[in-house]
Amino acid sequence: MTDAAVDINGVEKRFGDLVAVRNLDLRIEPGEFFSIIGPSGCGKTTTLRMIAGFEDPTAGRISVGGRDMTGVRPYRRPVNTVFQSYALFPHLDVFENVAFGLREAKVGKAEVRTRVDEAVTLVQLQGRERSRPRQLSGGQQQRVALARALVNRPEVLLLDEPLGALDLKLRTDMQTQLKDLQRSVGVTFCYVTHDQGEAFSMSDRVAVMNHGLLEQVGTPEEIYHRPASSFVADFVGTANRFAGRVEGVEADRYAVAIDGIGRRTARGPAGLESGAAVLVLVRPENLVLNGSVGESGGLDANVVDTAFLGAERTVRLHSPKLGELTATARGSGEPPEQGSRVGLSWADDDAWLIPAADAAS
Amino acid sequence: MNVRRHPFAASVSLLVLLFLWLPLIVVAVNSFNQQTIMAGWGGFTTHWYGLALHDQNVRTGLETTLYIAVASALLSLAIAVSGALWWRRASPKARAVYDGLIYARIILPEVVSATALFFLFLKIHFTLGLTAIVIGHTVWNSAYAAIIVQARMAGLDPALEEAAADLGATPWRTFRRVTFAALLPAIIAAGLLAFTFSFDDVVTSVFLQGASNTPLPVVILGMIRFRITPEINAIGLLVMLFTVTLMSIAVLIYATAGSLGRSGRRGNMLDIYRGR
Repeated sequence: MTDAAVDINGVEKRFGDLVAVRNLDLRIEPGEFFSIIGPSGCGKTTTLRMIAGFEDPTAGRISVGGRDMTGVRPYRRPVNTVFQSYALFPHLDVFENVAFGLREAKVGKAEVRTRVDEAVTLVQLQGRERSRPRQLSGGQQQRVALARALVNRPEVLLLDEPLGALDLKLRTDMQTQLKDLQRSVGVTFCYVTHDQGEAFSMSDRVAVMNHGLLEQVGTPEEIYHRPASSFVADFVGTANRFAGRVEGVEADRYAVAIDGIGRRTARGPAGLESGAAVLVLVRPENLVLNGSVGESGGLDANVVDTAFLGAERTVRLHSPKLGELTATARGSGEPPEQGSRVGLSWADDDAWLIPAADAAS
Repeated sequence: MNVRRHPFAASVSLLVLLFLWLPLIVVAVNSFNQQTIMAGWGGFTTHWYGLALHDQNVRTGLETTLYIAVASALLSLAIAVSGALWWRRASPKARAVYDGLIYARIILPEVVSATALFFLFLKIHFTLGLTAIVIGHTVWNSAYAAIIVQARMAGLDPALEEAAADLGATPWRTFRRVTFAALLPAIIAAGLLAFTFSFDDVVTSVFLQGASNTPLPVVILGMIRFRITPEINAIGLLVMLFTVTLMSIAVLIYATAGSLGRSGRRGNMLDIYRGR
């Protein structure tokens, strides 16, 4: 097995009484676009800062490229950071900002020239080499920060909410550019954001953190369709959930009794015991609304409200048996009328189980 | 201002400007006046400038003053910069005490601090002289320098230093290439300001000079007590041009220095100068 790009082993970080990160194990593979997401204060930025060396773990070990980083100062680590505020040096022009790391590494003049040119071309800032950071737009500054980090050819590039200060349109453009960039340079990216959409659109794998704890690691699809906890399910999207109890295991499926509507089949993580309390999760886009009430096994709901979002339409429903629900209707068909009664169903494959013990937390 | 609508305010303003500028104009004009008693215009001459520049008293006075001003400015900068570096990582309480001490030095009337130092030096048998004057000037000079350097420091985003470290710069290199570089405009401005303040100081110098050579402002004071000649006008104009130039450079450097990572917290040096 090759060494992980970043290997985080039993890491804990305390600030006085506050535990920012607890018992974290994480393995980032070489060449991967890895994101850490979570709400503010979940410990994602602290984790990034520990990889960069700005914070020392209270306990545990971090290795980069197989080398233990304990006690290694930031300036000796084979990683580079793109800061949230960009942190461009205001007294240096674009060229000197990008060349900063190379000069510190005592790279020869000619090579500095070529590599800075390369990096500046990579982020499409040719011709702006002599501009000061304050003369550039937010998006351009962001790209200088990127070039300044990448020019050093780090083993891992750390990005701390680098798109946070940009407006929506620019952000979407930059997401595409970042992803392409990562593919072309092949450097391992470790990206921190609170925006799950951003993380999903770019990442090979995503880690979700909450209150200093790692909730789940997986591909965006896994995280979205097979969340490990109620928190994850909510953080990465809207979820309808119904309380129930496992009644039996059939191959890779579970039979589950849902409170109020009876027995259904659903998928779930391995190892759920018969009799265990669970939550049944159905994403809004998997909730099917039919015009007639009878054909969906007697499940029905009243349309409370609909909201038009462009490509889709969100429908808020109230079901006598299941309570408040959210559904997403696609396409240009007639929307269900407010106040009307609709039938309700979902495919067995679209229902996912979460252990209910977790739901309590 | 509309003169007709505010006749009182207009005339007061006019008087203030008159009293402020008239003496300076008179000095400037008389420095080129041939008539020794300066009762009227006796014709143009640069004779007094030659006299002033060859006056041994003036020359030693200037040398003494330059020595004091340079020494005091450097000492003040050392105190201000190291203080600002400490201030950044200090607790809020420690900062409040430090800031309080700075403002105390500015508010305290110069006569009081000079007298206090005078008695202190006598008590501890510290010989009065150039070193005593340098210390005396540094008491208030370092306070002004500290305010200017600190204002710049407060605007310095700590992420800049982290970024430097991240890019491979050792703590010393980070200080040189980022922290010091960012502070440089403030350091130059504070240095020039301290130099200027020290250059034209009379009060502290008189109290602490002891048996040493006399600084230029005190020399001038002595000269006008003795007799008023156009030579003094020449010296006055030269000193004035010199200090105004230095101050302008300082203000210019400070005003044109770009803002740092954080949103513009820039100290206004003109306010400090007016306060003195």
